[in-house]
Amino acid sequence: MNNNFVEGKEAEFTPEEAALILRLKVFVRWRWGAIFGIIIATIIASLVSHIGFPTLPVYILCVFVAFYNLLLWHLTLRLKEVSTGLLLAKGRAIGIIHIYLDLIAFTVLMHLTGGIENPFIFLFVLHVITAGILLHYRTAYTVTTVAFLMITAMVMLEYAGVIPHVNLEGFILPYRYRQASRVLAILAALAVVLYGSTYLASAISGELKKRQRQVLKLQKQLLEEKTSELDMRTHEVDKLEEQKKHFLSFLGMAAHDLKAPLAAIQGFLWLILNGYTGQINAKQKDMLERSNRRIDGLGGLISDLLDIPRIEAGQLVHEMKEISLAEIVQRCVDDLGNIAKGKGLDLNVELPENLPAIYGSDIRIQQVLTNLVNNALNYTMWGSVTIRVSDFDTEQQVEVIDTGIGIPPEELPRLFSDFFRGSNVAVKGTGLGLSISKRIIKAHGGRIWAESPYADSGKGSKFTFTLPKRSTY
Amino acid sequence: MSNKAKILVVDDDHDLVEVLKAVLEGESYDVVVAYNGKEAVAKAKKENPDLILLDIIMPEKDGFLTAEELKKDPAFAKTPILALTSFSGGDMGQPFPFEVEEYIMKSTSPKDILKKVAAHLERKGI
Repeated sequence: MNNNFVEGKEAEFTPEEAALILRLKVFVRWRWGAIFGIIIATIIASLVSHIGFPTLPVYILCVFVAFYNLLLWHLTLRLKEVSTGLLLAKGRAIGIIHIYLDLIAFTVLMHLTGGIENPFIFLFVLHVITAGILLHYRTAYTVTTVAFLMITAMVMLEYAGVIPHVNLEGFILPYRYRQASRVLAILAALAVVLYGSTYLASAISGELKKRQRQVLKLQKQLLEEKTSELDMRTHEVDKLEEQKKHFLSFLGMAAHDLKAPLAAIQGFLWLILNGYTGQINAKQKDMLERSNRRIDGLGGLISDLLDIPRIEAGQLVHEMKEISLAEIVQRCVDDLGNIAKGKGLDLNVELPENLPAIYGSDIRIQQVLTNLVNNALNYTMWGSVTIRVSDFDTEQQVEVIDTGIGIPPEELPRLFSDFFRGSNVAVKGTGLGLSISKRIIKAHGGRIWAESPYADSGKGSKFTFTLPKRSTY
Repeated sequence: MSNKAKILVVDDDHDLVEVLKAVLEGESYDVVVAYNGKEAVAKAKKENPDLILLDIIMPEKDGFLTAEELKKDPAFAKTPILALTSFSGGDMGQPFPFEVEEYIMKSTSPKDILKKVAAHLERKGI
């Protein structure tokens, strides 16, 4: 439980802090190993190698080291509760305590086990490396100096006879510690090893810490950059949405204001044409009827022009729901049946039974089909217009087939462009019907195309559009 | 003329009101007019019409609000309201936000408007 909590919190540390805590823990573990090693070495030295020296003080020292090791373990664990700002400083302070306690303990151990005679005296190098890794380089050099001074003091004091010297009997000649040149040589070698190790350790570890800080700074900088960039983009998207809303509401008002006068004009024309204002002659009637037709055309053009931006602004999505092509075809036949009959054309419908519903905008698909059938009726003098609906696995398909004048091959590629009008037709529309149909079908994820000539007669044309079933979106 | 229905025509476009008035009076309907939503509610209360032709886009109180207020009033809950709009179906982009009896495009020929008016009145039993 407690362990989990500690690990959970560890995630919040900077890499440098995490590394420091880890190292402090590792030192405590090593120290247990060191105590074990000293006991083993002492037993081997005295019992196996028959090196004579008093072992009891060594064991007492081990107990003392074990005691402060427990204390340090406790301090290291408590360190995680320290607020983050202070953690590095406190951790280093604990590290210094580790090192100085070890220095004292190791110096005493050396003193108890032969002083300068003991080759293990070179293990001081481990302390200074530890300090070099853990501490600021200046503190590390201080530790090294203190270590060297303590060793020197011990050796000198033993040399001078101020403190007793323990001879490792049977291992080293008992007068060796008084051979000044030899003692000085060992001390010099030790000094070189200690300062050299300190330099290497602190240089490597300093470089590592610098890199860690750089990486952290870079991470932070990158995160800030990305965050501000994201904020900017979000703001831009919001602004565009706002502009789009303004634009669409502007279009709505434009549609109203452009069509309202036309409705009034057509109303007056209707009143005059229907004799509400008195008799009119044939010529007047003809001109008024032509005016009325031109206004019809203008109204259609206004609707078409305002449709295009609305479709391109992606507004169709809001109109989409489950729709039935069968119903749409039926409405189309209801609307245009009279025109077909008036021209003596057959308007055929081929619908599969139980045609499933499909996802789309009812009004817009109706608009496309009406446009296609209207065109077919306009450009067909005799014969028939056929609406054929097919149901496939992934899409439904609607074909509008006529036996009319067809489309010149060179005009086929431009058929769906804005303001394109066929060269071979007398009936002039806005030239926007097919281009709007294409936009509508594309907004549904479908395809629309034309083929001409289509019928066996080598005449006529066929327009096809598809609507994908929803699962394929 | 007395047994002919009374129709309230509401539109801020005076010319269109005049056209509709002439068309409807031509069929001997009793026509009262209003030029904005507020006036429409007042006229409706005063004249108690059998059917209302209501423009949608009007300054201040638009047709949506006017229709909503009228439909809430028990006196007019069953009075057919035919909304006049210059929007083609897709222009609104979505269903109109309240239920009126029917939407009629302003570009619809007066002859067809008369047919629709007659049909709604017949349904109501007038």
